[in-house]
Amino acid sequence: MSAVPGLKEDCEELLGAFQQADTVRFERFAELWRERRFHTVFYGRIRALERNKLTKTTLELAQQYFLPPYSFQIRVGALYLLYGLYNAQLCQPKQKIRIALKDWPEIQKFQQDLLDSQHYDAAYIFRRLRLARAFHFTAMPKLLTYRTKKKIEENYFKEEFKDPSNRVNSLITNDVLEELMNIHGHYQKMKLVISADKSQPDKALSLIKDDFVVNLKDITLEHQEWQQNRMKLFQNAKETDETENKKKEETLIESEGSERANALARIKYRSYSAVVEASKSRRHRQVQLESSEAGSSCGKSPSKKNSRRPQPARRRGEMQVAKETVTRHIGMPIITEESSDE
Amino acid sequence: QESHATGKRPDNLTDLIEEGELLLTLNIFYPVIFQKHKDHKPYQTVLVLGSQKLTELRDSISCVSDLQIGGEFSSQPDQAPEHISKDLYKSAFFYFEGIFYNDKRYPECRDLSRTIIEWSESHDRGYENLQSVKMEDYVFNDLSLKIGFPYLYCHQGNCEHIIIITDIRLIHHDDCLDRNLYPLLIKKHWLCTRKCFVCKMYTARWVTNRDSLAPVDPCFFCDVCFRMLHYDAEGNKLGEFLAYPYVDPGIFN
Repeated sequence: MSAVPGLKEDCEELLGAFQQADTVRFERFAELWRERRFHTVFYGRIRALERNKLTKTTLELAQQYFLPPYSFQIRVGALYLLYGLYNAQLCQPKQKIRIALKDWPEIQKFQQDLLDSQHYDAAYIFRRLRLARAFHFTAMPKLLTYRTKKKIEENYFKEEFKDPSNRVNSLITNDVLEELMNIHGHYQKMKLVISADKSQPDKALSLIKDDFVVNLKDITLEHQEWQQNRMKLFQNAKETDETENKKKEETLIESEGSERANALARIKYRSYSAVVEASKSRRHRQVQLESSEAGSSCGKSPSKKNSRRPQPARRRGEMQVAKETVTRHIGMPIITEESSDE
Repeated sequence: QESHATGKRPDNLTDLIEEGELLLTLNIFYPVIFQKHKDHKPYQTVLVLGSQKLTELRDSISCVSDLQIGGEFSSQPDQAPEHISKDLYKSAFFYFEGIFYNDKRYPECRDLSRTIIEWSESHDRGYENLQSVKMEDYVFNDLSLKIGFPYLYCHQGNCEHIIIITDIRLIHHDDCLDRNLYPLLIKKHWLCTRKCFVCKMYTARWVTNRDSLAPVDPCFFCDVCFRMLHYDAEGNKLGEFLAYPYVDPGIFN
């Protein structure tokens, strides 16, 4: 399917406006649709063959927003969009919406959610589409074509439409934590069993932190809060003054960059904290462990570690201020590498 | 790709396709005869039902090599035989997922895949067990297939077509529901036909080699021009040449 220029942007604009409207009512969507005269999107191609292609591409594009990982509101918007596009198309017989087998359980779950939360207009729209036989039930979502494309288009998701990606939460779930607690408990018991003193494990066996699981749970909670605050901050930043807005965004993005850099620093610190002792012949090249703790006498800036990482060196002064404000808002523990920043 | 058969219903209700039937879309590529086809291989698109036998698909594939007539007929142009290659060499096979489906409906059919299986078994070449079964015993619903993966159709011993399945879906109310029309051809690549060198009007039916009367080698002629040039009024052969009946690939346009 050849890409149609501007189509993705138009759809995202409409869905964005719907998201702004902060509602899932169909009347609101219909208003937005009519404002934009969205049905004219099909007017571009006159010949039958091109019309078919255009309609297929449009439906395929809209269908992507109907599935996870998009947020609930966007998915309802996509449902309305599909309804509108399906009915506004000019092809006879109508082009259908392709849904793959693997996506059907999610869509059924979605429909159930709609009914449970009493969004009857959305459920009705979906039922209308089903009754109109608007769907093709396919094995694979994308219909294959064999044109050599000049470049493979990257399907990039609009960040704001997505649900905040809870990767950390999906990894460290409640079940995982519970199991960790169990294993931890068992481990402690084992240590007791084989120790001389039955009430306390031997000192020699204390190889891990005892409150490791509790710490993990706290950290994930912190992360979640931080993410939510960040989202709010991002939203709020949009509503303030233009220049202020730009600055904040940039610093946020920069601090994001430096956050990542700091995360990297942390990982590297941990891996480099074990130093191999060089053999006698190479003693002069012994690797010396430079402490990266803030406040240490780490005054030598042109050290190897610094030059490796691309830090936003420019606008140091603002960075300082921004970092402090950011730290206050977010509260995520930051281990800084450069002592010059503190 | 507006299909002419969209929405068609059969006259006889026993031919009506039932709900739940699978519809496969296959791209069957032409064998590369012309060099210009090497980059963008021309293909035809066929719709086939899940409950149809593989042999039905095999019969529906129209390939120009099936119509070839073998043999040199400069001395007896009127006696170009009736038998086309399709009738002479009936063997064919499909290759899907490690299994060769050989056409064994006629006694003349041979197992073309045997050579390949013996070759793969002779040394440890890294191919798992390749099997050979009868094509007429299987329907498409029995197969396990990958979408987008190239498979093979081979006939005439060495005419090979790549087959790619582009889509599998359930049959829909708006599709053609007449079972007799399947396998349904919905897209075909149009090939330029070669015209007679002399009149430039009619499609070539003869090709000559080492022809003393022709300006190029090989040279293509339509039937009328061929006879007028190469034979006298009594039908005697004039000049030295070798003549073969020619079937143009564009014959299916």
